[in-house]
Amino acid sequence: MEDKTKTLQREFLKVFEKLEVVLGWEPGYDSLHATPSFIRQAQDLNRLVWNPLCSQNLCTYLVKTLNASVREDDKKIGICVKGCDSRSLVALIQEKFVTRETLYIVGIPCEGTVDWRRLMRLEPSLKDVQEVHIEGNELDVETAQKTYRFPLQHVLEQRCLHCRYPNPIIYDLLIGELITPHASDDQAYGDIEKIEQYSLPDRLKFWEKELDRCIRCYACRNACPLCVCRDSCIAETRSPKWLAQRCDLKEKFFYHMIHAMHLAGRCTECGECERVCPVEIPVTLIKKKLNQIVKELLDYEAGIDPQKQPPLLTFDPSEKGI
Amino acid sequence: MVNSKEESTTKKDLLMVGFLCNWCSYGGADTAGVCRFNQPTDLRIIRIPCTGRMDPLFVVKALIYGADGVLVSGCHPKDCHYNKGNFYARRRLEVLKQFLPFMGIHTDRFRYTWVSSSEGQLWQQVVTEFSETIHGLGPNLGVHGESDAKAAMSFF
Repeated sequence: MEDKTKTLQREFLKVFEKLEVVLGWEPGYDSLHATPSFIRQAQDLNRLVWNPLCSQNLCTYLVKTLNASVREDDKKIGICVKGCDSRSLVALIQEKFVTRETLYIVGIPCEGTVDWRRLMRLEPSLKDVQEVHIEGNELDVETAQKTYRFPLQHVLEQRCLHCRYPNPIIYDLLIGELITPHASDDQAYGDIEKIEQYSLPDRLKFWEKELDRCIRCYACRNACPLCVCRDSCIAETRSPKWLAQRCDLKEKFFYHMIHAMHLAGRCTECGECERVCPVEIPVTLIKKKLNQIVKELLDYEAGIDPQKQPPLLTFDPSEKGI
Repeated sequence: MVNSKEESTTKKDLLMVGFLCNWCSYGGADTAGVCRFNQPTDLRIIRIPCTGRMDPLFVVKALIYGADGVLVSGCHPKDCHYNKGNFYARRRLEVLKQFLPFMGIHTDRFRYTWVSSSEGQLWQQVVTEFSETIHGLGPNLGVHGESDAKAAMSFF
């Protein structure tokens, strides 16, 4: 991992004069966290890191923070993407929120990112972490005292366990070598089937129980690279008034339906919504189910082909059966 | 709270919401009325300019807040007054229809269909069938859950 961090820094330094800002990751408030980093000066490039803790999807900032569709000078934005992030980027390009020409994309094939909450549950006393890297099927965590080893299955994020796109789909520069996906296409929707074994009333009870924890902090919406309505999100606007401020299950349930329906046929399953959820609601399941429906009904997978258009934003008069 | 719960389980009239497009189905329902066809009385009709106006979230909101059924009806595909509104609508509505059961809402509580303004008889048939289906399913209690029950308990 050490050398990938170095390569990353070196490669960005080579092209830095053509870039306005570099989006990457840097060490966070402790060594078990990485945090997004916006680098505007060449001497700061040595803050950049790449390790299995770099879980944030940086594409979110392109639209929400940087407004990448409008560039005044001809300088580009440098951005690091993992496989899942690159799909979000493709989706943003498809919908013309960003233009390909304004980006310098560094793709990093990714073996999965670590869910520190799962890690801390396995080893609550973990502290003074110095380095984290993936060795084969295990995660090595080096602390000042000793090296811990965890099986990847137990510490990776949910989204990474069924990852079919570990390799970036678009990039200008690839760091490291392409890797083979762990999961095949038919494994992709395995966790949905678990819920579908329940009867209808039980499914409703399951979601009532899960969504009742929601505190409507809107972190899932804010972290979502494709939630692009910004100040006009109908979960918050007073006119039209879709949602009351009242804290009850109906409101929570409906908020999650808004998020889901607005992402139908657009969600790239980057799993950010679930990662940032403070009460660990399995929101990605909802998005995955919608993706499965769109795949079967309209034969479309989001964030794969920059030339295609999301199916719910277009139509086809010749289609039969619906 | 206790009373309203008893009412909701024993009420005989169910409440269904119909979203009808201004140009075809609303006219179709009107034709059915003018022709004096017998129709179920538990459908409440909301007129929309076109099924393209139909946000799937209208349906979701109605069902979450306790509507027993939602019916959407518009011009036949290729007959849209605005050329393409119902082409968009049918994709969105079909995705929604397949998605509802995943959240625990019966797929038959929602139906979309196409009725033109001359098809009064078809409208009668559609609405009768839909009403029978919904009566078969019984009342929809909407989304509630423990927190609501607890909150209600704390009041009484």
